[in-house]
Amino acid sequence: MNRSTTMIMKIDESAVVLSLLKSDLLPIEDVLSEFNSKLQSSSYLAVCNSLSMLLQDQKLLLGTERLIAFAIIYKCYSSQKPSLNPFLSEMISAACNEQLEKSERAFLLHLLQWNSYNNVKEILKQSAVDYIRSFDPSTHDFPELGELQREYGDKADPGPSSHIFADYSLKNLLHDPDVPRGCDPNSPEFDVQPGGNPRIGLGDRDEVLSELLGNFTMEGLPPRWIRPCPPRYQVHQSELLWIDPDNKHELVWDDKMCADTSRGATLRDLLVKGLKVTLSPTEQEEITTELTNDPKLVYHCGITPRKLPQLVEHNPQIAVEILTKLMNSPEIVDYFTALVNMDMSLHSMEVVNRLTTAVDLPKEFLRMYITNCISSCENAKQQDKYMQNRLVRLVCVFLQSLIRNNTINVKDLFIEVQAFCIEFSRIREAAGLFRLLKTLE
Amino acid sequence: LKSVSGRFPQFHKIFFASSSRIQKIQNVGEQFGRSSMDSGDSSSAVTSDAARDTSSHSEDADVLSHTALAKSALSCFHSGEFEECIGILVQLDQKRPNDLQVLHNMAIAKYFKDGCSDSKELLEELNRVKNQSEELASSTKELVEEANPETNLYVSEDQLDSTVTILNIAVTWFHLHQYTKSLSILQPLFQNIEPLDETTVLRICFLLLDIALACRDAVKFLDVFDYVDKVFGFGVGFGSQEENGSSMQLSSNQVSTTSSSLSSSVAYDTLTSGLTAAESENLEYDSEIVVKKRMKPVGHIPTKNLLTILGERSFSTVDPKLELQLYKVRFLLLTRNLSLAKREVKHALNIAGIRDSSMALLLKSQLEYAHENHQKVLELLDVSDIQKEAETSGIFKNNLGCIYYQLGKYQASAVLLSKALRSCSSLRNEKRVKTFSLSQDKSVLITYNCGLVHLALGKPLIAAQCFQKAIPVFCRQPLIWLRLAECCIMALRKGLLKEGNTSLGRSKIRLHVAGKGKWRQLMMEENEYEELAGSSQEAKLSLPLARVYLSNGIYLLNESLSNDSKSDLKSTLFVGMNETTEASSSNHGEETNSDLEEANGDINQDIIQKSISAFKDGCRREKQLIKQALLANMAYVELELDNPINGLSAANSLLQLRDCSKISAFLGHVYAAEALCLLNRPTEAGEHLSGYLVGENDFDLPYAQEDFDQWRMHTSSDCDETGDLSTENAQDSALLKPQEARGVLFADFAALLATKGDYDQAKQFVTKALTLLPNNVKATVTAVYIDLMLGRTQDAITQLKQCTGVSFVPQT
Repeated sequence: MNRSTTMIMKIDESAVVLSLLKSDLLPIEDVLSEFNSKLQSSSYLAVCNSLSMLLQDQKLLLGTERLIAFAIIYKCYSSQKPSLNPFLSEMISAACNEQLEKSERAFLLHLLQWNSYNNVKEILKQSAVDYIRSFDPSTHDFPELGELQREYGDKADPGPSSHIFADYSLKNLLHDPDVPRGCDPNSPEFDVQPGGNPRIGLGDRDEVLSELLGNFTMEGLPPRWIRPCPPRYQVHQSELLWIDPDNKHELVWDDKMCADTSRGATLRDLLVKGLKVTLSPTEQEEITTELTNDPKLVYHCGITPRKLPQLVEHNPQIAVEILTKLMNSPEIVDYFTALVNMDMSLHSMEVVNRLTTAVDLPKEFLRMYITNCISSCENAKQQDKYMQNRLVRLVCVFLQSLIRNNTINVKDLFIEVQAFCIEFSRIREAAGLFRLLKTLE
Repeated sequence: LKSVSGRFPQFHKIFFASSSRIQKIQNVGEQFGRSSMDSGDSSSAVTSDAARDTSSHSEDADVLSHTALAKSALSCFHSGEFEECIGILVQLDQKRPNDLQVLHNMAIAKYFKDGCSDSKELLEELNRVKNQSEELASSTKELVEEANPETNLYVSEDQLDSTVTILNIAVTWFHLHQYTKSLSILQPLFQNIEPLDETTVLRICFLLLDIALACRDAVKFLDVFDYVDKVFGFGVGFGSQEENGSSMQLSSNQVSTTSSSLSSSVAYDTLTSGLTAAESENLEYDSEIVVKKRMKPVGHIPTKNLLTILGERSFSTVDPKLELQLYKVRFLLLTRNLSLAKREVKHALNIAGIRDSSMALLLKSQLEYAHENHQKVLELLDVSDIQKEAETSGIFKNNLGCIYYQLGKYQASAVLLSKALRSCSSLRNEKRVKTFSLSQDKSVLITYNCGLVHLALGKPLIAAQCFQKAIPVFCRQPLIWLRLAECCIMALRKGLLKEGNTSLGRSKIRLHVAGKGKWRQLMMEENEYEELAGSSQEAKLSLPLARVYLSNGIYLLNESLSNDSKSDLKSTLFVGMNETTEASSSNHGEETNSDLEEANGDINQDIIQKSISAFKDGCRREKQLIKQALLANMAYVELELDNPINGLSAANSLLQLRDCSKISAFLGHVYAAEALCLLNRPTEAGEHLSGYLVGENDFDLPYAQEDFDQWRMHTSSDCDETGDLSTENAQDSALLKPQEARGVLFADFAALLATKGDYDQAKQFVTKALTLLPNNVKATVTAVYIDLMLGRTQDAITQLKQCTGVSFVPQT
């Protein structure tokens, strides 16, 4: 059953139901058809719920009223199999409740169409009063609760969204008789008699019935769980925003608009020339001055990593100058890569050697460069013996200078360099380098 | 090439005019700068012809007139004559179609002409310029590359340079408080900052520093700070000060003492007792105040002239060295290295002299605020110029509001904050936009503070409105989503939600009395839905919305936690690399002198590193706490929404957190147990509660008094003493006292036992629960249920008649 609280009977509906309950002289059939004609099927659930609440109290309804109430509950769901009736469990437990009248229990068994109780139609043709009057308890036998539950129980649908609290919920109706101390609240003396005087403890059953019928909610009385509310998260000092008036970051006018683009033009022209031929000392002087005067000019001088090898070949000093100034550039790695990948030459070695004294070169670069030098010497074998000797001498001098200046850590390259020395031991400089290595060991 | 020519008409023309590839490239070169670098090279010499020579003279004349126009446009711009400025730019645009720099300056001038109102349009325009210039740059590069590498074609970078455009985009995002966007666009510039000129470098770096502070990103800050300090040689840096070594160690000792709660209570005493001995200790500290006070009678005009007016602080008027020093102080305040900050503030005041001390004094007041030395803050704010200027009075009132909040005077704080908002909006309406400065609108930040104070005042609907207004700025922060969810929950508990018919915290039991006398019946009803005066319509709060808010928060938090762990990994790797290089270089130790200096610097760096890692730890701990709160709220909301499966999974993830606090664990267990009950798994539910059992039938305190006190210290320090009207409301979302929490365990365990049919034991537990939580409605209901099950209707009725949470309702 849904725990919705909105399923309450309307006032006129409860009046109809109350009057039907009292129609104990009419054939039950007729009562039911009147019920059908006066109430919408949408309110059946609310009606049945209210009735079943009243039925749980054994004294609240008279015997005939109880029969009619059960008949209504039966009728509401008679188009379906009895096992689909949501109030089936109430009907079963009432049918097996020995405290109830046997006539009522037999009536229920008929409604449930249990075994031999199969003439519902016949029974409903009687009025409630007639049924009770003609009832003969000796002709009936009553099943055990378990028996009935087995019959219907497996088929009974426990209903949607049921959980333990709902399953265990009790009817939320408490009998609280208001009678003078020491009096039996069950005594009929407190019932309202026609024409009698009002007195303490007097109560009208019809009054309570109509008030209750109109107010039953579907919600029973389950044990309640305390669900603590999560506490509000602490406000740390940093969450409360203290504001500083900040630096006014302003929008900037782009003053390069239509600006003179001649900045560094002479430098660029000179450098272009420097890619082809060796520049004169005055020209070199001019380049150095331009670069010193405007420290950012180096980034705009037009020497890209791609052009670097040409500059190195023709003007190594200028290349060193430019590379030194580009050390902070994010592109410096590309320049180094260009340097490593160019053909090995005296000039490139000169550039690297000068750089080692001027700036901190990345270890990885130096290492790659040296490896490259060594392999160039080895590859030169096929071409020209004279060229090879010249290269080997150069590399040896270069390496000695690096080692003497402590710019490389020999340990990193020891095996490689040693193998190189042994391979070219016929060359004097290689032997010298080998001796130098031995002294360091 | 086709695509390029399609988008840039001037290319189109050129491509059709010439046929040879080299010719094309040359024309491109002409358009964008100098092509004279071929210098008689064989491959391109062919192209020089007579026609070109003749045209070059008129071109030169054009260039000259363009430069003159550009100059007059600039001077108009500087003097605020934007109409004229735009007129000139339009002329230029006609002469140089699609010159991106002209378009850029036009966008800026238009923005100022319209009173800086349409930031969105400005951004669109700037982004268009940026994209076009990038496309142009890459296509030109392609052309150059495709050409014979031997040709020395040079294309002017100036014309393709979008640095200024990018900087302006970042500035605009910054003023819109979109710090991550601003950062992401500036980052590439910073990585390639070497070629830029110094002014631009400073602009970029200062903006980055402000962004880093706004994002509370200490690492990023140091990155930029160190760079600026190194390149400009201000010597402000953390590692470069002479006397740093000795005094810093001293200060690190002070950190531990000042941060203890003991000293903060001392600070509070000085506040209440006014000028006491504690203040005379700080005599020299007060000297600035005295100096400034003395300066006042000399007359307003000279002082005003001497001081840089705070509201007009701008790039051109500040001293970069002082500025960097101020940034340093703000960094130290951010990382809560307070004693070092105190020292550096003094240093800043020395650099500033009397001329420009306002900002330094403000930072000093912030320092005192961090020390919870509220009286001193008030004095400092009083002498600073911040409240006198229209442009900063909003900021002043906001900061004052913060102080009152910390003092627990929420009502006063709310008043101040709404005044602050009003001065912001009047500033905006004045339309008297000063040239060259975007309106410095802090109202979003103030609105967030307003949200906090209204939450503390127990006004969830107003609070939610505030937070919702702040969403555009704070949406990347998990905390705002938690706050919004808290608004929903508070509204639910106050019955301000339409669907709030489930379990109101202060619900009562209603007993409908039907019939009279012998037939009198009591119909029990709990949590009757009541229409309440307030409506949640405006703020549109609901529980499903709370669920959305919370899942936003959880998502963002998980993201940032995983980023943290990634960056930690990176930084440890980085440190490792540094160590190896240092180790290898020290092998060749020759220069003892510089080594010593380095070592000195290392000590300082060490302290900074330590304070950064402490700051990071603090942030991580805070994130863990927020995560616990988010999950606890999530479990609660899911249960409220009758969704025990999701509730259970939220509670379980809460319980699985590594550093789950005792308070969170308690909530997690109770929520998980309830969810399991609702899922018909009572045995597992019992296991969650029985962990707290001591012996057969007694419960331990789920958390200690210390846990409770610690929590309360942060929430509402002296809420009770101030006697604010809010106290009753504030209690709504207050933490249960440890004994009450124990009562909850008793009551819930009793409910569980009752469903198992173990009524006698359940009765014992519920009785204890009711002694700990007298008049608790739900415990009473459970007690009544158990009595009825035991057949003691009379006891149940007596129980109900004694409970104050019960109202008897006659039938009408």
